[in-house]
Amino acid sequence: MSSIPRLGVGIGWRPEIDLTVERMAGVDFVEVVAEQLAPRHGLPESLRILRERGMPVIPHGVGLSLGGAEPPRPERLEHLAACAELVDAPLVSEHVAFVRAGDLDAGHLMPVPRTWEALEVVAENVARAQAALPVPLALENVSALLEWPGDELTEERFLAELVARTGVLLLVDVANVYNNQVNFGLSPEAFLDGLPLESLAYVHVAGGYAKDGVWHDTHTRAVPAQVHGVLAELCARVDPPGVLLEWDGDYPSDAALAAELGRIRETTGRARVG
Amino acid sequence: MTDGGAGSARERLAARQAELLTALVAGGPPPEGFDPVRLRVQRDSLIAKRRGLVARAAPLLVHALDGEFVPLFAGYADGRPKPAGGSAADARAFTAWLEAAGRLPERAPAPAEEARPRWWKRRLRRGRVG
Repeated sequence: MSSIPRLGVGIGWRPEIDLTVERMAGVDFVEVVAEQLAPRHGLPESLRILRERGMPVIPHGVGLSLGGAEPPRPERLEHLAACAELVDAPLVSEHVAFVRAGDLDAGHLMPVPRTWEALEVVAENVARAQAALPVPLALENVSALLEWPGDELTEERFLAELVARTGVLLLVDVANVYNNQVNFGLSPEAFLDGLPLESLAYVHVAGGYAKDGVWHDTHTRAVPAQVHGVLAELCARVDPPGVLLEWDGDYPSDAALAAELGRIRETTGRARVG
Repeated sequence: MTDGGAGSARERLAARQAELLTALVAGGPPPEGFDPVRLRVQRDSLIAKRRGLVARAAPLLVHALDGEFVPLFAGYADGRPKPAGGSAADARAFTAWLEAAGRLPERAPAPAEEARPRWWKRRLRRGRVG
């Protein structure tokens, strides 16, 4: 992939912390949930201000259901494309997940069965999305609470095949890698070793909690040391173009969020971009 | 990939995904081969996710329900899929369910009274200030 932009350290922009993000030092880029934007109405004030400062804004979709059995819906692709145009995005991101089946809405990102047959369907969905988008697409690994029976590929192989077949970029969520270590005993090192990291666009970092031996990726807690450990393992293999903190509720103080960004910077061991 | 091959692959994937979601959000039987404990954990997690989004769409209703919101929402959402129309529609359906069950508080707000997104208000405010 020829031109993956340098993004630096960022945070997920949310309406609840718009002023916090706007005023926080050390934010190089932000992500905005695409389904929260209404391109016809223009940008939220705070995002407009950030864009005027030249800050990159990445639309992050949660509803395309690219891992679903149906092709992505044209109106959802048009929305994501319009979001990319609205913020002049360097790229957009989505998930390797399905969120609906027929009339049923899961309301969240569900893992895809990893069979060769399902891979063909997902790769075709991804190709359709790429054809409809004005900028490159990056796909994220999801956190899972359950495993499909009869999987034929590891998650890293599934992602690598998607990259090879479609040229899609990767958004590696290191919290989800840790999640899958706790919930399924999977090795973060083996996962990272199996990915084509030259296609890495950026990285997600987040906190969660364990309950009854199961990790819940809630984005409502401080990033634990183990997730920083996975981030360090990733940085030992590749210099990530960007690393972004996700926080989605039970928001802490501005100082606590800034400290989280500081810890990310320490782990990546990089000076601030720009 | 041929259309025929992809078509049948899509049909088989659709059947597997629909069977799992039916079990998780519509009270269907557990699909074969899944860990039953993890299915319950996933079902509860999806209800919690829905509950959080409904709380954001209808904060006045949550306030009026006081500490009863979590158990009441679990009673509403168990086996009842999220309706079309997103979390605002989910909040309206939850309100209707509370009313039918005689559990809607007298001081509950009408759905239209719920707050609009903050950034939108801020945009209007700045517009007035000029």
